[in-house]
Amino acid sequence: MTLLHYLVLSGVLFTIGAATVLTRRNAILAFMGVELMLNSCNLALVTFSRIHGTLTGQVMAFFVMVVAAAEVVVGLAIIVSIYRARRTVSVDEPSLLKN
Amino acid sequence: MTTFVAPVIDWAALSAILVIAGTGIVGVLVAAFVPASSRRTVQVVLALVAPLAALAVVAWRWSVVVGGGESTLVAGQLAEDGPALAAQAIILIFAVVGFAVMASRLPNGEEAFAPQGAAAPGSAYEEAARRAGLEQTEVFPLALLSLAGMLVFPMANDLLVMFVALEVLSLPLYVLSAMARRRRVLSHEAALKYFLLGAFSSALFLFGVALLFGFSGSISLPDLGTAAATTVGMDGMAVVGFVLVLTGLLFKVGAVPFHAWVPDVYQGAPTPVTGFMAAATKTAAFAAILRLLYVAAPGFGWDVEPVLWAVAIASMLLGTVAAIVQTDIKRTLAYSSVAHAGFALVAIVSLSEQGPSALLFYLLAYGLATVGAFAVVTLVRERDADGNVTGEATHLSQWAGLGRRHPVLAATMTLFLLSFAGIPLTAGFVGKFVAFVAAADGGAWPLVVIAVIASAAAAFFYVRIIVLMYFSRPEESERPGADAVEPGALTRASLVLCALGTLVLGVWPTPVLDLLAQAAKFVV
Amino acid sequence: MTNPYVPILVLMGAAALLALGGIGASAVIGPKVYSRAKLEAYECGIQPTPHAIGHGRFNIKYYLVAMTFIVFDIEVVFLYPWAVAFSDLAVFGVVAMLGFLALITVPYLYEWRRGALNWD
Repeated sequence: MTLLHYLVLSGVLFTIGAATVLTRRNAILAFMGVELMLNSCNLALVTFSRIHGTLTGQVMAFFVMVVAAAEVVVGLAIIVSIYRARRTVSVDEPSLLKN
Repeated sequence: MTTFVAPVIDWAALSAILVIAGTGIVGVLVAAFVPASSRRTVQVVLALVAPLAALAVVAWRWSVVVGGGESTLVAGQLAEDGPALAAQAIILIFAVVGFAVMASRLPNGEEAFAPQGAAAPGSAYEEAARRAGLEQTEVFPLALLSLAGMLVFPMANDLLVMFVALEVLSLPLYVLSAMARRRRVLSHEAALKYFLLGAFSSALFLFGVALLFGFSGSISLPDLGTAAATTVGMDGMAVVGFVLVLTGLLFKVGAVPFHAWVPDVYQGAPTPVTGFMAAATKTAAFAAILRLLYVAAPGFGWDVEPVLWAVAIASMLLGTVAAIVQTDIKRTLAYSSVAHAGFALVAIVSLSEQGPSALLFYLLAYGLATVGAFAVVTLVRERDADGNVTGEATHLSQWAGLGRRHPVLAATMTLFLLSFAGIPLTAGFVGKFVAFVAAADGGAWPLVVIAVIASAAAAFFYVRIIVLMYFSRPEESERPGADAVEPGALTRASLVLCALGTLVLGVWPTPVLDLLAQAAKFVV
Repeated sequence: MTNPYVPILVLMGAAALLALGGIGASAVIGPKVYSRAKLEAYECGIQPTPHAIGHGRFNIKYYLVAMTFIVFDIEVVFLYPWAVAFSDLAVFGVVAMLGFLALITVPYLYEWRRGALNWD
């Protein structure tokens, strides 16, 4: 098992996350896709950090975790307020803005 | 194990950012501790004084830095140089005029934001909050924190700092978008869309950062440029990484094909927020793109030009065509902003020497007209059967005949629209001119030709709105008629500043152009 | 000397065996007699209500608690590495961390003053 495998795994996770965001109609699920993408970035960063023998990538991973947590707070707040207003978390259903 | 050396922190160079971020935090404390009766006044004063103070600080730093005082700060993570300071100054100007519009109220005391952001639209609780006269004063600290992120953005000399700044500027904006007082559901939707697409694009940005870090072993932009010039093989990784990072930034700018959020968010967000966001976010993101292209990209053995060409052309054409068919004034302005992102990109595609100053001037011209135009939109209101002022009249047909009833307001709007269109004697003309000259000097002739054609086509729909305001009669329709309300003192001041700026920069742009020309050098 | 990870693997195996074994054994040898009371949701001896209050939705307070928790979460992410490198970072680290903690406190002050920490 070489370090390359981790990179491939991170690429696969990133793709799954991106596909989730683009195809799922549920805001919470789309949001989970974003989180998956961020975490796959973390995996790539830590792996590259190991390859290069520097700590930079690991430090970045910490910052990414924090930013992801902050995003969760803001995102959940928005989704919850929409849910309370219309009892649905579908991305499609809110469609007043579509032309 | 390397030993830790504490970085030298040049507090003076960071002071503008610290003023804004500190005021934002003080604003949170004000929201917590100041009694409700005086809370709003305190917040408004803080939100207006802080950008002015920061502007003074930036002017002072300018006198220190321009003429050889450029330096990198905090172990090379931030760069203080001409382009960074110029971009900060422009963003702060937008903040002053934008916050003034946010803070002002209609003659009937109504403000632009929901009485309680957490209340469900149409619920009894919301109605109670409205009756009780509650106000969500948290919008001002949120706007200040977002502004702090925008100020870090142009200085970011390192991909980690850039990422954190990107999030700091975005997260408060997502929340602000959801706070409109009227059409709450539309506003919620805008926030959700903005949030999901924004989070998606920052994930793309981050994966690009990871690839670039893997490629070069460093996340600092100058190192990246060096590594790109010397590393052999792995070109694919570098190209993909660079394009992903660029994608994240182009998303914030709202360039095609990353513009899907722009019309919806501009329409749904509270109008004063839209004005500020459109002007300031675009400037901040373009400043980051500038540094990325001018510091990191020249070292790359391959060309980023084809990507930028495609994005610029697509933005100009699609923005213009889509704007022509809109019937909502906010959506029209949103698509016009997409087109303007394309025009601004024209200035830097060829990475010519005048590129940065031309781009910054263009953004200044565009931003002043944008804040002003959206401020006018906040004033044109529908009236119900009893003559009470209700929501904004955003349908274009409702603007018919506005010029006869409110000549001054319509004239102001006309000035902003002419500046968007790039008609001589307005700032927009000078902006387009310097941008196109910069591109032509870099040899991007075909692009300039397309840009000129697109701006001629774009002029059509701006002129159409002007014709509508002056030469059309309001037609009979089921939509309630529109009428402009008297602007509050702050909106009036903001409108005067934007209009004056647009005129002065159009008639006598030389001093500002000279100032910006000094600012073209990046520190490496 | 065996690989140091072997004991960990053994422990994981033992834990998995215990958990799965318990479930499996009760499924195989346990008596299966269902009554109405057994099939109902367990509510500490109270008569279960047909639907959870608020139609199965969580009270909004839970989200507030979750958000409050996340702020702590963020705090710990930085506190751990700081603690590991404490002696290297010396005074600079202490000052920086105190500044960070002070900033983290601000949202709590806000929550506390605006009543977000009151359960009722």
